[in-house]
Amino acid sequence: MITKQLIDQIEGEASIFFDIKDNVVDFATIAFPHFRGIESILKGKNALDALVITPRVCGICGHAHLMATVRAIEDAYKNAGYPIELSKKITIIREFTLVMEIIQNHFKWIYLTIIPEVAKLNNSTKVQTPLKGAYAASIASKAIAVFAGQWPHSSYMIPGGITADPTNIDLLKAESYVDELISFFEKESIGVSLDAFLSFESCKDFNTLKSDFSYLESSLMNIKMNEKGFAYDRFLVIGTHTFSKPSKLKQTRPFSIDAKYVTTVDTYSPDQASYAKNAQYKNAFYETGPLARAMAGNLKIVKNMHRRFKDSAYTRVMARVFEVATLLEHAKELLSGIDISQKSFLKSVDISKITARGVGVVEAPRGPLLHTVDIKDGLIQEYKIVTPTQFNIGSSTKTNPTPAQKAMMKTTQDEAVFIFRTFDVCSVCTTH
Amino acid sequence: MADRIEGVKKLFTSKSARVETNRGDAHYEKLFQLCQARIEELKTQTPSRNRLDIDDLLKDQGINRRDFMKWASAVTGMLMLPASFTPLVADAALLMNRAPVIWIELSDCAGNTEAMLRSDGPKIDEILLDIISLEFNETIMAASGHQAEAQLEDAMHTFKDKYLLFVEGAIPMGMNGQFGTIGAHGETFYDHLMRISKHAAAIVAVGSCATFGGVPAASPNPTGAVGVMDVVKGKPLINIPACPANPANMVGVIIHYILTGQVPELDSLLRPKFAFGYRIHDNCERRAHFDAGEFVEEWGDEGAKNNFCLYKVGCKGPMTFNNCSIVRYNEGVNWPVGVGRGCIGCSEPDFWDKYAYERPMADANIKAPTGGVEKTVDEFGLGLLTAAGIGIGIHAAASILAGKKEDGGEA
Repeated sequence: MITKQLIDQIEGEASIFFDIKDNVVDFATIAFPHFRGIESILKGKNALDALVITPRVCGICGHAHLMATVRAIEDAYKNAGYPIELSKKITIIREFTLVMEIIQNHFKWIYLTIIPEVAKLNNSTKVQTPLKGAYAASIASKAIAVFAGQWPHSSYMIPGGITADPTNIDLLKAESYVDELISFFEKESIGVSLDAFLSFESCKDFNTLKSDFSYLESSLMNIKMNEKGFAYDRFLVIGTHTFSKPSKLKQTRPFSIDAKYVTTVDTYSPDQASYAKNAQYKNAFYETGPLARAMAGNLKIVKNMHRRFKDSAYTRVMARVFEVATLLEHAKELLSGIDISQKSFLKSVDISKITARGVGVVEAPRGPLLHTVDIKDGLIQEYKIVTPTQFNIGSSTKTNPTPAQKAMMKTTQDEAVFIFRTFDVCSVCTTH
Repeated sequence: MADRIEGVKKLFTSKSARVETNRGDAHYEKLFQLCQARIEELKTQTPSRNRLDIDDLLKDQGINRRDFMKWASAVTGMLMLPASFTPLVADAALLMNRAPVIWIELSDCAGNTEAMLRSDGPKIDEILLDIISLEFNETIMAASGHQAEAQLEDAMHTFKDKYLLFVEGAIPMGMNGQFGTIGAHGETFYDHLMRISKHAAAIVAVGSCATFGGVPAASPNPTGAVGVMDVVKGKPLINIPACPANPANMVGVIIHYILTGQVPELDSLLRPKFAFGYRIHDNCERRAHFDAGEFVEEWGDEGAKNNFCLYKVGCKGPMTFNNCSIVRYNEGVNWPVGVGRGCIGCSEPDFWDKYAYERPMADANIKAPTGGVEKTVDEFGLGLLTAAGIGIGIHAAASILAGKKEDGGEA
């Protein structure tokens, strides 16, 4: 019998249709029943209008969309014979705001979704503190606002640079927000100094702590999430950043990668109309996001977890927890590397002179985000958006399941719903 | 419906958005007594279920009375009330758990929920999330799935005709509403909104999607997206546009409702005047450079380094009404103009097609108000009014929704 389960507390809503046999999930399909048609809205508009429209695809990762648009248009400039060499300052500030967006996303996901759901599965009566996630996210978004003006939905990045021309006072402000966030993280989330946390090599190191994340770690173990939720053990990182490098991994073996092999196909969703598509690389499904980035970046503790527990739900969640820590440290490095005397913007020809295709790839909180734009005389002919959730949480057939579908098999329905959430669902991005 | 929507948009004049901030002692004394009576009455009511005692909560969070009163006096100022109202506003905040709020998301990006979640730091977040009775918000509530649906039904039943309904997102009318469905039975967004709004005390449309259709309604409007005021009739409706809407304005509307039991004074686009009675340009920190004729001519030039006016690179501050230049974003940290990006007019109808990027107005086929920046929007609006006979009917309807807004200030 097929049972429908609604998934909310995500950006938008999703439905999962479970086929339960012998009390475990035999197969599940996923539908995303919302659609806005952003790609067709972009058609025919001035390419620079995309800078305002694409961030509004998503309320939680709009900054990643903005950066993907900027990279796509800059790529089109290059392909039209007008390459733009960005200054180091531009690159660093863009990276910094993207990193802070990833951090706020993870804090919210951990405190508003994952810890409460873990507590439910553990039948725990622990008092929930979702506001901690909201508090941390508010500090992170203030740090973004120093350079970007506001969060969410900022458009401060433009092809050729950024509109902001920060002063040393702005840098001090941003640093103080990062420091505030780190001290919150140390005190409330991890219960140990950031340096000490980053030197952890084994999950046993958690045993000595008393903190929100040690509670999360032991609760995941308690419900045996280290033995469940396995996907393909294949990972994909496509965006090039100061904090990640593009790579395709089969188990731990890395291979080179090219965004041109990314394709999308229609979803298989027999029980409800879905506006989503499945994203693949060379016609195969891959998992994307923090776990993929940690594997590609050789993060020692996550690799150790992976050696013991493979790509289980446990490893997936813990990779995110560690990404918060590594990105907080990285954010400090980025800020210290800003030379305010460098240029904020490099002038190029007017957009109306551009006729070319451009591809922009960014690592968003949930994985690679691809924007492809075809520009003719400055106007958008076609615009295509491929989002990380399309890689992770597509809906395909039983013989060729997507990572999320595969991970939910052979678990109870309650466990499956939790495992589904470990991929961090973003419905509004998926259908856009 | 398209004619009607156009008519409403053309009705707006800056004069209609202005708030009379000095109505005389007699008026404020009467209002004070009214608010006081209401607060006393609310104090006798029991909080909606499972809500914490706010005094205790503030103490637990280490927020002392002084900090709280500072916050209350800022809100009093924002609501354009005399300082003597501060204790009443503080009381109203403490009584927030008497005001049930249901929050629904339709065709959107969840950006307004996100904005609210990180509104004014821990203190006001507390007030928003723990203190006010957010009975139902799909993104942040504790329950999920079928349990969440049951909770919504329960909240609607318990607070019948009393709840404030916050709506985030547009309503896709195309393909019989099949571009957006919700819940176990695949109810369309339109049906969902109609069912839940039926017994709301008032509706607050939050963000540009819920007010005017927003980005989903951008040409060619693939899903036939419209705003709440285009489909819901016969209910008090408050529009808080902008993308995202400023959390300060959402709090302001709630406090005002608790304080007076009424919707705040609205302009012809049903926006609260306390927030939208300002033109961005008039309070802009770069305004002096406009007056001095100092402009950023292109990104990264000397003007950009010296924070000159962004008008020539496409800032839409002169035709946008909102309090961003005063309240700013992310707890006042910054706002777009602060980082050298012109206003895109995100709280104005049709910004997504008309104002989208730094297209300078001269190049963009947009007529600046009566031709020049410095003339007021009044003449612009009035010029169009004569052509929009249809608009007058709407204006009357809007006035009924808003209550007798010009008379005594409160509906």
